[in-house]
Amino acid sequence: MKRFEELFAPHLDAAYNLARWLTGNDSAAHDVVQESALRALRFAHRFVDGNAKAWFLTIVRNESYTWLKASAGRHWVAFDDESDENEAAMSHSQTPELLAIHTENAALIQQALCALPPAFREVIILKELEDLAYKDIALVVDVPIGTVMSRLARARAMLKLELLKSHAHE
Amino acid sequence: MNEFDCTVCQTLVHGYLDKELDPETAANVAGHLAECAACARLHDQAQLLKVSVRHKAPYYAAPASLVARVTTPEAPAPGALERWRKWFAPAFSAAALALAMVLYVATPGSEQPLMDEAVSSHVRSLMGEHLNDVVSSDRHTVKPWFTGKLDFSPPVFDYSAQGFPLLGGRLDYLQHQTTAALSYGRAKHIINVFILPAPEADKPRQSQTIRGFNVVSWQANHMRFVMVSDLEKGELEAFSELLKP
Repeated sequence: MKRFEELFAPHLDAAYNLARWLTGNDSAAHDVVQESALRALRFAHRFVDGNAKAWFLTIVRNESYTWLKASAGRHWVAFDDESDENEAAMSHSQTPELLAIHTENAALIQQALCALPPAFREVIILKELEDLAYKDIALVVDVPIGTVMSRLARARAMLKLELLKSHAHE
Repeated sequence: MNEFDCTVCQTLVHGYLDKELDPETAANVAGHLAECAACARLHDQAQLLKVSVRHKAPYYAAPASLVARVTTPEAPAPGALERWRKWFAPAFSAAALALAMVLYVATPGSEQPLMDEAVSSHVRSLMGEHLNDVVSSDRHTVKPWFTGKLDFSPPVFDYSAQGFPLLGGRLDYLQHQTTAALSYGRAKHIINVFILPAPEADKPRQSQTIRGFNVVSWQANHMRFVMVSDLEKGELEAFSELLKP
């Protein structure tokens, strides 16, 4: 218990933030973090050294996905980096000024982030809100470190697209 | 770097913004951004997004109720516990103190680490060529060899006549103390006898088995004797009778 308090208790905010962003739901995030804390406590002896925050967030992420899968039921789909859409083409045609208007609006940012598939939403949350290094993001989302940059590139392109879409809806 | 084109830059620019590129690649990206207006615009947009998410996206901190629940699991009804504590804690402390004192007086102290170390040392002595530092069956060779190496004088005798020939001696280290280790033979078995100074005078013989080895220990004349061997327990105890003064 002492070990848990030392290692993981300082990262409960980060844990809740990730769970909340992934599940999009307060009570689910609450349950996910509670379950993750139990797991972290149970497997704390396996944590040898390294980044306790990344280690704990890995558990939180897995628990969040378990919840997402359960709540989506048969409709769960995995995301891959290969499925190609036309964001790249579109992104070049937009002006930065138009984007600037939308990035000022916190509600739009939140809405756009929530519209991203979890695999892309999570890398943005881990990078911008938790300020994790690529190597730690790689650990948490379980991809090779080289994939982190390309996934962030795609995630930011998709986020930009979502923000520009919200303009079209106004 | 001629393969450095816009397609490559569109990904690398993110590593550049996140300061995750090695200096050489970062310099390449900076160079390309200075020349390519399209990529420079992409860079500016990505930077704008980064800053906006950082400052505008909500950060969901863990609610206090969750923190309390996770850091103190299975908290029972507080009222009852508090009342219980108030009355029983002093009584319980007193009882625990009394028990601790009884245990302190009554138990012979934890010697298990010493026994474990002795067994490990015995095993190690048989592994390489390090059974003895001084190889001799003559106690007048072995005993003087320890002089000046130890701050106590271990008894060294040969028991060839009784079937336990002295093989030699070496220095060992147990429980942070320099220890005399004597080796004796018994048919094909090796017996290690560890002797180290002890604070208490006498203690009766104890026999135990650790990891398949028989261990017989006792204390006499302010010296701790620990015998380890794969020899059968009865024989080892018989040998200990020879050594005991």
